[in-house]
Amino acid sequence: MQQSSCGKQPETAAVLKRTVEALMERGAVVRNLENLGERSLPYKISKHKERHRRGGYFLIDLEAPPTIVTTMMDHLGRDIDVIRRAFVKHHLSKTEECSGIIPVNYNDKLVAKK
Amino acid sequence: MAMRAVAVRPWRGLRPAALWVRPQRLQHEQLPEQSDQPIQMENPYKEPPNRCVLCGINVDYKNVQLLSQFVSPHTGRIYGRHITGLCNKKQKEITKAIKRAQVFGFMPVMFKNPAFLTDPKICNIKYPE
Repeated sequence: MQQSSCGKQPETAAVLKRTVEALMERGAVVRNLENLGERSLPYKISKHKERHRRGGYFLIDLEAPPTIVTTMMDHLGRDIDVIRRAFVKHHLSKTEECSGIIPVNYNDKLVAKK
Repeated sequence: MAMRAVAVRPWRGLRPAALWVRPQRLQHEQLPEQSDQPIQMENPYKEPPNRCVLCGINVDYKNVQLLSQFVSPHTGRIYGRHITGLCNKKQKEITKAIKRAQVFGFMPVMFKNPAFLTDPKICNIKYPE
């Protein structure tokens, strides 16, 4: 999964195209590309000699070898239109085993275990 | 006066406990395999364990509204376990998700997003920061 926020509109499509091509070059399989909308950033971000206040958020769902991460972060860092880049692993949700809050016996914890 | 010295032996007509046998007419209908001891079973009156607010809910760094509910509206600081009332696992997940969202530019750091200020209150704070 990758997320990048970038600048103004006509370049957005170009940026995405560049990014996806770069990913595919390095042997990643792009599964999905989501647009999380364009909104004002929660705080002003200074990047590439500019102070950004608005940005578009995109989420790229991909499968790739882990060696791709450093090279892609480099590549995206050099891209002027990308404000913030990140790679995140897929969260395998296993919430079915939640057994609730088990009351902890602090008395037992105080006594030294031997 | 002749006082017959009665030797102190109140146990004269009794038997030692180990040899005492229940008389026939008081014998209950009890097979030798069954015993009087209580049957071992788990507590039938056991209450279901306390669940925290997020039990069963998937925590995501993109879900800024959910994450903002566990953050102070004045300073943007993450509330501790004693305030949120979450179980260990969920508290850790929430903290990690909040930090992630803040770094990725989804959630503000020093304050709470004003759009989420009127959300229902989950955390019980005694003295708001």
